[in-house]
Amino acid sequence: MKRLFSFMKGYRRECVFAPLFKMLEALFELFVPLVVASIIDNGIEKGDRGHVIYMCLVLVVLGAVGLSCTLFAQYFSAKAACGYSAKARHALFKHISSLSYSEIDTLGTSTLINRMTSDTNQVQTGINLTLRLFMRSPVIVFGALIMAIVVDPSFKVSYIFIITILALAFVIFGIMLISIPLYKKVQARLDTTLLSAKENLSGARVIRAFSLEKKEKNKFHNKTLLLNKAQKLVGRISALMNPLTFVIVNISICFLIYKGALQVEGGELSAGKVIALYNYMSQILIELVKLANLIITITKALACAKRIDDVFEIQPSQEVKDAEASKSESFIEFKNVSLKYKGASECSLENIDFSVLRGETVGIIGGTGAGKTSLINMIGRFYDAYQGEVLIDGKNVNSYEFDYLRERIGMVPQRAVLFKGSLRENMRWGDKEASDEEILKAIDIAQATDVLKSKKEGLDFEIEEGGKNLSGGQRQRFTIARALVGKPEILILDDSSSALDYATDARLRRALSTLEYNPTVFIVSQRTASIAHADKIIVLDDGKIVGIGKHDELLSSCLVYSEIYNSQFKKEGA
Amino acid sequence: MKNKTNFSTIKVVLSYLKRYWFLIIVSLLFATISVLLSLSIPIFIGEGIDLLSEDTVEINKIINILVIVGIIALASAILQWAMNGINNRITYNVTRDIRNKAFDKIHTLPLAYIDSHPSGETVNKIISDVDQFADGLLMGFTQFFTGIVTILATLGIMFYLNWKIALVVVLLTPLSLFVASFISKSSYSLFHKQSVTKAKQTAVVNEVISNLKAVKAFSREDEELERFDKVNEELKKTSTRAIFFSSLVNPTTRFVNALVYAGVALVGALLVIKAGGNEGALSVGVLSCFLSYATQYAKPFNEISGVVTELQNALACAKRVFDFTNEAEEISDKENSELIVSGGSVTLSDVSFSYTKERELIKGLSLEVESGMHVAIVGPTGCGKTTLINLLMRFYDVDSGEIKIDGQNIKDVTRDSLRGSYGMVLQETWLQNASVRDNVALGKPDATLEEIIEACKASHAHSFIKRLPNGYDTIISDEGSSLSQGQKQLLCIARIMLALPPMLILDEATSSIDTRTEIKIQNAFSKLMKGRTSFIVAHRLSTIKEADVILVMKDGSIIEIGNHEQLLDKGGFYASLYNSQFEPSEENKNA
Repeated sequence: MKRLFSFMKGYRRECVFAPLFKMLEALFELFVPLVVASIIDNGIEKGDRGHVIYMCLVLVVLGAVGLSCTLFAQYFSAKAACGYSAKARHALFKHISSLSYSEIDTLGTSTLINRMTSDTNQVQTGINLTLRLFMRSPVIVFGALIMAIVVDPSFKVSYIFIITILALAFVIFGIMLISIPLYKKVQARLDTTLLSAKENLSGARVIRAFSLEKKEKNKFHNKTLLLNKAQKLVGRISALMNPLTFVIVNISICFLIYKGALQVEGGELSAGKVIALYNYMSQILIELVKLANLIITITKALACAKRIDDVFEIQPSQEVKDAEASKSESFIEFKNVSLKYKGASECSLENIDFSVLRGETVGIIGGTGAGKTSLINMIGRFYDAYQGEVLIDGKNVNSYEFDYLRERIGMVPQRAVLFKGSLRENMRWGDKEASDEEILKAIDIAQATDVLKSKKEGLDFEIEEGGKNLSGGQRQRFTIARALVGKPEILILDDSSSALDYATDARLRRALSTLEYNPTVFIVSQRTASIAHADKIIVLDDGKIVGIGKHDELLSSCLVYSEIYNSQFKKEGA
Repeated sequence: MKNKTNFSTIKVVLSYLKRYWFLIIVSLLFATISVLLSLSIPIFIGEGIDLLSEDTVEINKIINILVIVGIIALASAILQWAMNGINNRITYNVTRDIRNKAFDKIHTLPLAYIDSHPSGETVNKIISDVDQFADGLLMGFTQFFTGIVTILATLGIMFYLNWKIALVVVLLTPLSLFVASFISKSSYSLFHKQSVTKAKQTAVVNEVISNLKAVKAFSREDEELERFDKVNEELKKTSTRAIFFSSLVNPTTRFVNALVYAGVALVGALLVIKAGGNEGALSVGVLSCFLSYATQYAKPFNEISGVVTELQNALACAKRVFDFTNEAEEISDKENSELIVSGGSVTLSDVSFSYTKERELIKGLSLEVESGMHVAIVGPTGCGKTTLINLLMRFYDVDSGEIKIDGQNIKDVTRDSLRGSYGMVLQETWLQNASVRDNVALGKPDATLEEIIEACKASHAHSFIKRLPNGYDTIISDEGSSLSQGQKQLLCIARIMLALPPMLILDEATSSIDTRTEIKIQNAFSKLMKGRTSFIVAHRLSTIKEADVILVMKDGSIIEIGNHEQLLDKGGFYASLYNSQFEPSEENKNA
């Protein structure tokens, strides 16, 4: 939490002035009943018109001074709260993008997005209200109490204030304590209805195919019924707040006047003073209700602050280490590497051992969940080895600066994503200074020229969020081009031709083999056709290498490979 | 225009409220009585204070008054609580009715709507829009009406007590209204600006964080941070202004209130002095009573202006929901005639279909499928393979022509019976948030565990299900579960292996399953397909080689038709597709 406070730096002045001005406003408000008492006791009783006019002017002045104090306070608190949340969001964004794959996996992106947006918002509201009300409400409540004692120092009437405040606090906070967990229950039930609605939309086809509409409707109606019950229960309890406080305050006022009357009879209090006490009582009620709302907001904000802080707590697990380069002929080498994902009980890759020469093409094949993507992710050090080491140019990958390492690698991920912006901007990811000519060349190699030609804006074509205005195959080809723009030493294609038809896939492979900078290429695929031409094929099964070699060798020596091959190319009558 | 749509939305809201007319009347009655009771309290207290100012204080009289005050306060509180309870009940029941109706709508909408509208948007309507509407409705009930009653009753009482002071209050009222409406208008536009910027920022956050891995693979962290900072700075500025402006409402109305208070005190005090304690003239008690009305009087104005914006928002939400529930529905089933599948022959005659008027997709398609035949459909992406399946299942209706199963036009039978006679596995798997067992038994809810396990064994899902934490009772869901795409597909295959429908549709059913496993389940598939009319869409040509008929589709029409050998001999489009798959290995042989 300490870290979260540090974002307040630079807003110290605002944080002091906002509550200070608020307090001033509250103090001025506390004078109002005294002024009214004076109007009654000195003005009316003595028939002094001048005094009445004078005191009424004082009321107006008190209001005006209070208003200007609040204006300052509101301005300072808005500025501090918004400034704070902007700073926190900036730091959070930076922190999240410094996390490594393994942390991103465990956290999940949807919660990170939520924390970036709605949680910081809640904290902002919390800070804003705290700065504005935290000083005001207690000052009014306790100020009114003190003033009551000032008006009646004998405690004969003002003790009622203490009892009332305690009773009100008991009712207000009691109801809050009971209803907050109930509200959470309502929220949880609302979440299940949300899940239902989502599920039914995404599964509309299957539900209709199995004629499950009625069943699904009944399930949903039951969920809304439960929600409805929870809502009514919490509604009934929180609806007690206003009537109860109303009764308490009015009964206190009755006592106050009764006790006051006894005092007035004894000549110890004036009527004006009893009215002043009565007015203080009303002020307390209004402020306590506000305070209760403030506390709800603050608890919410604190919970959100905790969620934000949790993200900051997570430190990127990878750091750059020192390592000597050993002499090595191979360009990339895996030495007995195992990979274990965070929280997993078993290794996803075990004893991976192979080496690759510069300029070679490596095919990686295996069934679903065999560890193909895990393996190539280790080249760019997206995950650290659990055992063994990954070497590039004889040096452990964990000794390279991330930027340097990843600039050498052109990565085409499985999920083809483009960002909002022009096609040109997207293509420049690999090389910020790439010329149009270079980009067009990369697009050509990626077999995407026809797609480009179909867009009349050319490279200025605006891509929508997530690349929604392109088809899957088009996106895939552009992500290949994006990787090629940087002219990487190592090109990694992670199942990147799955959305391409066989003919385009074949043309792409041919074009890649003609690249003059001769990159080392890793191709991950489930299709033997896509990797059969590779200099080296690594066959993975259940996280282990079960065969390395060329296509023909593997066909005869590796059972898994020949099974995969035969499953795709079963010859007639075979 | 806007008012008109508002009006029609209100009419729909009222139609939902109609069922609760009795509760509404009771609620309004309670509200009126409770407000009047609570407003009468200052009068009694004023009387009590007047008794204080007398030379001799009559304690008994005061006690009488105070007891009355206590009873009134209690009665008013009870009524208020009852009213709140009734309002809660009405609101939550109405929102439940609306939400159920909106949900039911999902199942009667044509799939064209679901396919063309992002599901997030629709979920938003059913969940958060309805919720916001509930908030608005509840506030409207509890505050709007009581607010108006309070204002009117206060004015009435004040005029009754002393019309001169009341006049002061009335004259100062417009000032309060003017200030509140001015501020809320300008803060509304600022808030609008803020929400636009916020949406912009969320879009950036969404894009970057969802694709953080890609960002990191390209070392784009700094560039993306820069992009984010730009929006972040903009948001800081707009929200500071929006929050500041909106926070002015309370202090300024408080100030106006202070003016009213001072005015009442001034005129009131001068009138008391002038009356000089004469019988029937203004007393100190009445003045104090006036002062407490003056503080209460302005509050409803504030609340009402808040409620009005809240109500507008609620109406906007309600409109979105009602627009959704008013969407055109699927043409309902003709009559209760069930489809009776005897052999499973399917006839398409001169079928035409298009999703949009601008682009014709399927035109004049005729096809005769004999019972038990296996039909494979191949062709490049977007050629209409999936569309054909949409038409067979009647997810979409044909524009012209007809589809018949065993001589019965599928338009003349119920959708349930039509769809029930097909077993369908799609490329996009769908799992329910339920146990593995329930998910597999979707098409046959009364299946025994043995039958389920049998089906899972046949689809080769049994071995991984066994390894799940709770076996067949493990709760799985569509998203966020640890199942791979291939495993999900195996479960979907197990579904139809259990349900054993008379006809099959397999749309890329094994696309995510590795080819070795695919071979292994092929046996089970062959057994299942034996004697069943089947339609198979696949990318992998190896899976469709054995089909009786292969339809090669391109741009919505069938360009080639025949079995594997015939099509290869023909040397057309199919042959070139098939050969491109073998090309690299040919290369390899040459190398």
